[in-house]
Amino acid sequence: MKSVVLYHEKVKKVIDNINEVMIGKEEVAVLSLAALLARGHILLEDVPGVGKTMLVRTLAKSLDCDFKRIQFTPDLLPSDVTGVSIYNPKTLEFEFRGGPILGNIVLADEINRTSPKTQSSLLEGMEEKSVTVDGNTIQLSQPFFVMATQNPIEYEGTYPLPEAQLDRFILKLNMGYPSMADELEMLERMSRNHPIETISPVMTKEELVSIQEEVKDVYVDQNVQQYIVNLVKATRENENIFLGVSPRGSIALMSVAKALAFIYGRDYVIPDDVKFMSPYVLSHRIILNSRAQYEGKTSEDIVRSIVEQTFVPIRKEFS
Amino acid sequence: MNALKVSKIPSVFTSLLYICGFFIFLEWLYPIKQITETNEMGLFIVFAGFCFLISLLEVRWWLSFILKGAGILFIIHVLFYEQSLLDIAWVHDFVIDILYNWQALTNQEWYELTAIFRSLLFLILIWLMSYLIHYWFVTVKRIFLFILLTFVYLSVLDTFTVYDATRSIIRVFILSFLSLGLTNFFNEVEREVVPFKWTKRMSRWLIPILSIVLLSSVVGYAAPKFSPQWPDPVPFIQHATGTGGSGKTIQKVGYGEDDSHLGGSFVQDNARVFTAIAPSENYWRIETKDVYTGKGWEAEPDETKETYMLDSLNNIPINTFSDDVETQKLQARIEMDAATYLPKLVYPYGIREVLAERGFDIELNMHSDELRTMYSGKDTSLADYNIIYDDPSFDIDELKNDGDDPVEISSRYTQVPDDLPERVDQLAEDITEPYDNRYDKAKAIEQHFGQSGEFTYETEDIPVPKGDEDYVDQFLFDSKKGYCDNYSTSMVIMLRTQGIPARWAKGFTSGNRVVNEDNDRISPDGSDVYEVTNANAHSWVEVYFPDTGWVPFEPTQGFSNLADFHTEVAGSDEDDALDANEAEGPETETEDDPEVEEDDPEIGGPEYEEDDEDKDDVASGFTLKKWHIGVGGGLFGLLLVFAFVRRYRIQAYLLAKKMEREGDAASLQSAYHFLLKILTKKGNGKDPQQTLREYAKEIDVLYSGSSMSLLTAGYEQILYNNNKEVLNNTELPELWKDLVNQVIG
Repeated sequence: MKSVVLYHEKVKKVIDNINEVMIGKEEVAVLSLAALLARGHILLEDVPGVGKTMLVRTLAKSLDCDFKRIQFTPDLLPSDVTGVSIYNPKTLEFEFRGGPILGNIVLADEINRTSPKTQSSLLEGMEEKSVTVDGNTIQLSQPFFVMATQNPIEYEGTYPLPEAQLDRFILKLNMGYPSMADELEMLERMSRNHPIETISPVMTKEELVSIQEEVKDVYVDQNVQQYIVNLVKATRENENIFLGVSPRGSIALMSVAKALAFIYGRDYVIPDDVKFMSPYVLSHRIILNSRAQYEGKTSEDIVRSIVEQTFVPIRKEFS
Repeated sequence: MNALKVSKIPSVFTSLLYICGFFIFLEWLYPIKQITETNEMGLFIVFAGFCFLISLLEVRWWLSFILKGAGILFIIHVLFYEQSLLDIAWVHDFVIDILYNWQALTNQEWYELTAIFRSLLFLILIWLMSYLIHYWFVTVKRIFLFILLTFVYLSVLDTFTVYDATRSIIRVFILSFLSLGLTNFFNEVEREVVPFKWTKRMSRWLIPILSIVLLSSVVGYAAPKFSPQWPDPVPFIQHATGTGGSGKTIQKVGYGEDDSHLGGSFVQDNARVFTAIAPSENYWRIETKDVYTGKGWEAEPDETKETYMLDSLNNIPINTFSDDVETQKLQARIEMDAATYLPKLVYPYGIREVLAERGFDIELNMHSDELRTMYSGKDTSLADYNIIYDDPSFDIDELKNDGDDPVEISSRYTQVPDDLPERVDQLAEDITEPYDNRYDKAKAIEQHFGQSGEFTYETEDIPVPKGDEDYVDQFLFDSKKGYCDNYSTSMVIMLRTQGIPARWAKGFTSGNRVVNEDNDRISPDGSDVYEVTNANAHSWVEVYFPDTGWVPFEPTQGFSNLADFHTEVAGSDEDDALDANEAEGPETETEDDPEVEEDDPEIGGPEYEEDDEDKDDVASGFTLKKWHIGVGGGLFGLLLVFAFVRRYRIQAYLLAKKMEREGDAASLQSAYHFLLKILTKKGNGKDPQQTLREYAKEIDVLYSGSSMSLLTAGYEQILYNNNKEVLNNTELPELWKDLVNQVIG
């Protein structure tokens, strides 16, 4: 994932922008972009302070999108997310004041800190691309991209997302700490201006939407589809897994693989795309059985081992 | 100390290796004497040794050139010139000879090349080989191909020529095993650049090699081996190529010494062996054999020989019949053909005296009745001689009298192999059962072949007994066709199963009478002149009768007994009269039947064959054919080895052609997968879980390039994108070829 990779010219600038701000986070940038292009949403699970917010902000700024942030707290109400109708004495009418969900790029910080009711108001929006407030259905603006974060350390007073809702996120990512060199360079850059101040938008909303349309047209050959199905099927048959990946997971995997292929300037998906995406797409969609959990295995490990055991299609019947 | 210097192999060991190479090369030279007409092989071997020695000493190239060139000239001089080495005249002759040959070469007149020139070329070849073997054994230390070729060469020679490579193979095995062990070890040491104290640790590496070679040689030599599953491929090859019958081989007809493997087809050869001037027709006997092996005849091992001075010998002690037999003193004259090499006397029954050139000795083999002619201790043909002999006429009544056989006769001449099939015995029993005396029994068996109507006289498609088949059994019950050897051997064995002493006699029939009235050689006393050719070589049966001795019988169809028989009381017994008539009227059958040729195919001792080759077209034509098959087989074997060694290149070539021709997705796919296959063979296989890109990166790192990734990107277009346009990209086949070349190396 280093600089030798050739990106599609339309997305290259976005990735460059993120590289400007986020040092050593190109992979996360590519993954986020892939989720965005696949019209999916991301769950970022990491400790505070590694740059989750900065990533989203950079992305929003580069795309010239409306950036909204929701800091989830236990007392947050669904209306704080979706918006509320307020009576206007002048017009004698209720006027709808849109909540943060109406932005293009929404950072849902510490989503597990709020009550399930509030969580589901966001999740419903993510799934339906619309919210219903006071009987009015409001279409969310396009593009619409939610990046939710979770803190894996402090579980006290949290409401972990149910599995069914995790499924709504197309990818689950970890930021991870930067390497020593990257962190040194970060300090160097921060000593002057914050880099996010210097970057400028490189793409309009309209362009982004049209790219999202293009991504849909990326070709997935039958043998690659078969590969995806084989991977997903393997999660359902694995001895360590209590619940395997749903068909929604297959679709998600294909969508992000398409987006990744697009990012790399291809109009067709290769098994490498699928293989690269699998851990991010599949690991939050499986539930390990108690034995595997007791043995200390993580979902990522299991998914990676499944990927390492699934044969890649390298032959095709030509009529 | 410099590690490289330490690991340099001491020259004493490379010399050892080179000497092994020299001895293996000698195995190429040894057979040449036997399979060609090359004499003086010893000199060539000495020259080879000389060349190898000079290469071994690694003298400067110009000195080596001068020494080897001088060696060649010296050998040529020794071989062909009688003048002194310092005499300039021979050099002059030599130069003229070279010029002449050069002309012949440019005119493509291959047969015009002289012996001098051929020897010169051969010497140069040895020179080149000494260089090549030095290169293979000492410089690059890659000798496997040479060793493989040596084995192929020896086995081809062993199979297709008279050369017996049994010992040779063992020698080559030991030498090559040793050399392979040494080269492998030396290569390893050189490659790893390990410091190695050669002399101190000699026992550590030399002893294992030696002991393994020794052990495997002993085990290989001593271990029980299967008999050849396919003892003689020649008939099969001939059959497959349509050049011959199903027999052992097409042999040249003629007298030969080795009868240990009878059977097989042969070609006729009417080259004259000798001319006989004799008053009557009779068998020209040479020797008898009495040990039947199931495959053929062998001489009794404990031969007792006596040597006589020919001119002092007025009563040759060969007494095949008793003094009671009626005889007539006659004289015959034998004139050997100039081309014949037959250092044995051909003689009629009752030989008493030989009149010939002085100085010859005769070595008489008391058991086989063979009379070998020698001159100053060496086997030499006797050009012409007169024989005084007592021509016997056997009394049939006398023969019918029974008597007891002497013990030494009955024990020696009733031998049959232990594994002789029971049915031979049974058949003989059935045939002889009605008769009560030995003569009638013998007669019954003699006539069985003709009377049963089952047997036909053939010289082609005669099988050779294989495995545990018995020659007689095969003829009597399976093939039922054959020539004199089949008939006579079968009769001897059938008689022996009935306890009747019998032996196998061989020589020539009387030959063809020269009918020319003007022939001035017709002797005044009314003798006729007979021309005896190779085709007249024959074998017949001798049966022992207690009062009479050995009496010839003629079971072969189309031949009649050349011996005289009579009865005291004519007409007293119809059968006897008939027998006697038959016996006494031989000419009609033998000579009027053009189909029947007299013959005795033999795998002749090499000396006969070589002699004949020059003189007679049929024989050399045949030899040529046999050589063709040998060489063809060898070449085919080489081709197979070559194809096997180069199989990946051949496949790569075919795939490249296919890509060029068809240019479709399938051909690109098979080409790409072929590449994966050869990479796997090289130990860089792709894991099934690896994607093509991941693998291509690995391969590119390995071969420090980017061809594999580029090629893979192209293949991905086909595989995952259904994009056929990529096939128009002419770079892909080029990338592929480069990679294949890199991988195959």
